[in-house]
Amino acid sequence: MFDSSEFSKEAESKKVLKNRSSILLIILLLIGFISLSQIFKLTIFDQERYLTGSEENRITIIPINNSRGLIKLSTGELVVENVVFQNLILELGDEKELFIISSVKDLGKTLELDTEQIQNIIKKIDFNKRYRKVTLLENLSNKHIEKYLLDEKKWPFISLQAELRRFLIDGPLFSHLVGYLGYADSEDEEIKNKGFETNPWVGKTGLEKEYEEILRGSFGFKTVEVDVHGEVIREISRIKPSEANTIYLSLDRNLQMLAREELNGRRGAIVALDPNNGLIKAFVSSPDFDPNILNRTEKGRFEDIAKNDQGPFFNRVISGKYPPASTLKPFIGLLGLQEGIIEWPTTVEDPGFFQVNGEGRKYRGWKEDGHGTVNLKKAIVESSDVYFYELSTQISVDKISSFLESFGFASISGIDMFGEGFGVLPDRKWKLGNIGETWFVGDTVNLGIGQGYITTTPIQLAVAVSALANKGKVIRPRVVERINDVYTSPEVLEEVILSDKSNWIKMEKAMVDVIESWQGTAHNLFVEGDIRLAGKTGTAQIKSLFEDDLSVKEEYSDIRKDKEKRDHALFVGYGPVPDPQLTVVIVVENGESASTVAAPIAKKMINLYIKSRS
Amino acid sequence: MSNRPLDYSLNKPFRRSKFSAGNLFKDFTLVLSIAVLLVFGFFMLYSASGQSEFMVKRQIIYSILGLIMMFIVAQFQPRSYKPLFMHLFWVGIALLIYVLIFPSQDFSTNRWIDLGFISFQPSEALRLILPLSVASFLTRKELRPTIKDWVTVFSAVFLCFFLVAKQPDLGTALVVATAGLLPIFLSGFPFSFIAISTLILISLYPFYWASLKEYQQQRILTLFNPDADPLGTGWNIAQSKMAIGSGGLFGKGYLTGTQSQLNFIPESHSDFIFAVIAEELGLVGILFLITLYAIILWRIFIISFNAETEFNRLVASSIGFIFFIYVVINISMVVGVLPVVGVPLPLVSQGGTSLIVHLLAFGFVLSIKKRQTWS
Repeated sequence: MFDSSEFSKEAESKKVLKNRSSILLIILLLIGFISLSQIFKLTIFDQERYLTGSEENRITIIPINNSRGLIKLSTGELVVENVVFQNLILELGDEKELFIISSVKDLGKTLELDTEQIQNIIKKIDFNKRYRKVTLLENLSNKHIEKYLLDEKKWPFISLQAELRRFLIDGPLFSHLVGYLGYADSEDEEIKNKGFETNPWVGKTGLEKEYEEILRGSFGFKTVEVDVHGEVIREISRIKPSEANTIYLSLDRNLQMLAREELNGRRGAIVALDPNNGLIKAFVSSPDFDPNILNRTEKGRFEDIAKNDQGPFFNRVISGKYPPASTLKPFIGLLGLQEGIIEWPTTVEDPGFFQVNGEGRKYRGWKEDGHGTVNLKKAIVESSDVYFYELSTQISVDKISSFLESFGFASISGIDMFGEGFGVLPDRKWKLGNIGETWFVGDTVNLGIGQGYITTTPIQLAVAVSALANKGKVIRPRVVERINDVYTSPEVLEEVILSDKSNWIKMEKAMVDVIESWQGTAHNLFVEGDIRLAGKTGTAQIKSLFEDDLSVKEEYSDIRKDKEKRDHALFVGYGPVPDPQLTVVIVVENGESASTVAAPIAKKMINLYIKSRS
Repeated sequence: MSNRPLDYSLNKPFRRSKFSAGNLFKDFTLVLSIAVLLVFGFFMLYSASGQSEFMVKRQIIYSILGLIMMFIVAQFQPRSYKPLFMHLFWVGIALLIYVLIFPSQDFSTNRWIDLGFISFQPSEALRLILPLSVASFLTRKELRPTIKDWVTVFSAVFLCFFLVAKQPDLGTALVVATAGLLPIFLSGFPFSFIAISTLILISLYPFYWASLKEYQQQRILTLFNPDADPLGTGWNIAQSKMAIGSGGLFGKGYLTGTQSQLNFIPESHSDFIFAVIAEELGLVGILFLITLYAIILWRIFIISFNAETEFNRLVASSIGFIFFIYVVINISMVVGVLPVVGVPLPLVSQGGTSLIVHLLAFGFVLSIKKRQTWS
């Protein structure tokens, strides 16, 4: 059985095994060597990178929301508060569409909703957009919350999340002033990284936007260790959020209410401020809206507000551009005096129209028969157009522009509110650039009575009139009186110096006589022994009266047919004289009569304000 | 005696007369390395399983069971069990068919036989039975294997592969097939035949592909293009590499690896336990582990090359290579050199059947070892 062949076979099989083993060993050792080099690379050369990576895996930073700062009046009365909303949020992951729908139906049944409500909820879910939150139900009642919590575990992807929302106590009263919130979008990029992935509400208009950073404050953060499922294992550190900042407004609630009632939904704007420091006391743009609907704290639909073609979202106080009309006359008058072109006694014949160099086109005054012989005071009191046509043609347009500019016309007033408009203060360069024509004398004629190309915002007008009231100081208007305990301070933007200071007083006297003189355009306001006011009416023409062959009256009856083309009624004023406390600017769009529509509002407001202060 | 080959009959009186601890352990270095590796594994499993005492206790019980079986098998004479394996092969096939016909209720795939007190995977057992059966069959005669013999063993290997793949468990099927092919290759299957059979396999591949289940196809596709499945296998590998890399030279410390303890490592107690070791014990721990494996392999190959008969040599070296392949594939997959296939880290990863089969295999290796006293 055992012979030499056996031995040689044994030796041969050993040799074969050795060869074959070597092949296998080489292959395995080669792979092993590659893997070992990889281990060396990972642990020695890449350790730092992977250590950072594993830390990022482990550590998650969770922002801690703070509540948005409150807005109050300086008296401490609440204007805007935060209310807690309990919402049901669906976090859409990889779940099947049918599964989600059946879960939502199940949830709806648990909450005893009817089928229509359930269908509406399902409609909110966009199954094409995964990995995002969908608000299924807002502002759950306690009853609903209880029912949900009982069966909470059944719907792991639906959670109850509390959210703070903004509520304006007075609804629409401070709408344009305060503004509303909305979800942050690409426009709000500059405030990104401030944690609005957890609180997406940001101010979109008004003070809410202007003071976004202050109201939002800084978020807190907690650093936590999480496992692979994102479950928090432990908290590592915590940075508390900032205390909410409270903003105190200078507004007077009663004055604001009066102004809003007086406009009564008509298109227009009212702004009242203290001429001594620029603090805004009333700020109404009409028509308005209820910001709570946009803040989603009040039922209603944005579309229903937007349907109103009167422009309820348009903030007329700071963005509405109107011709200042006759309210510009005191400024032009002061310029005439300053330039030495006229003196108070200088007279002009007013036959009811004006022609440049006594020939050519007739520029009509508002009074067909004219005012007769007119000096500056009479021209202000009776608002003679012809006087100012004559005066303005004697001053260069550039001088008018730069003088008006020093009062803040057509420049940003600097009010602490987002969205202020400029208006237009035309001069030669402006006309060439914007209209493409050279400046005509006729343009200066129109400019002299605040018509033509010139437009101004009510807030600019209020600043300019305040400068008349305080004898030259152009003060930046402001709404916020203090933030927490820190008061904002008045800021003088410009000081208009007259070579003869008595002209301030004399102009004031003329403006007082607008009301007190029998011939005054606002004499209807006069009540013997009442608070003394200074004022000026203005009737801003929308349609120019160009056709020479028609009389003023005929044209007017024509124009009146279209309500949209009726004149704007303006009134600017301040009181009490000689120690002004309040400047008021009233604009009633298509209000026609400055004296009967606009002026009485101003008087009521000043009266209310002065009485409430004494 | 002259030039007669060494014969076991000469050893018999020795064995009977002297029954010492040295005889029991047969190869002290090998047994010691296995024991150290097992204990090391218990500690790592405790950490990797989220400090589950239950899992470690179960692993210890399996280890003791496996060690007892190893020592018993170590006492056998190879020639006494050599003929037995031709029959054991059929038992293995029967078990594989059994699990296909009577699937166990508790598991998603038909791999398990539930004996009430213990459940085990016949496919794991086959991983050991098949190479021993093949070695036994190829060395049953004194002559060189004929073509008919080669065809027979190939058919046996393919049958096993087919039955395991049918469970369906492609990974284990490949492991079983590899285990069966090892003795064939090592016993000198001609290279020309290797080339021919490779060609046949490639030509059969499209038919095979069509027979695969969708998830199996997907897995194979992922194997060649990991980026196609970023949140599956790719994510696992990224987390595993992060664990290994962040461990650095000395590791983050036992039980304090963040990737391990916060469950960022997938399957950390089984296939990916290597990443846990690397994260917590660092490169030092890895080198310690690799050294243990190296010692075990060195001892097995020494035993194999010194063994007396071709059968003994084939069995020992096949077992050694299977073990080696396990180690290399597992580590290479965890560090991202090879694609992810479900191969555990031998003697360390959690898993009873696998542990027992490995220890049993070492028992056969020990039984082959020539007695110390003789040399």
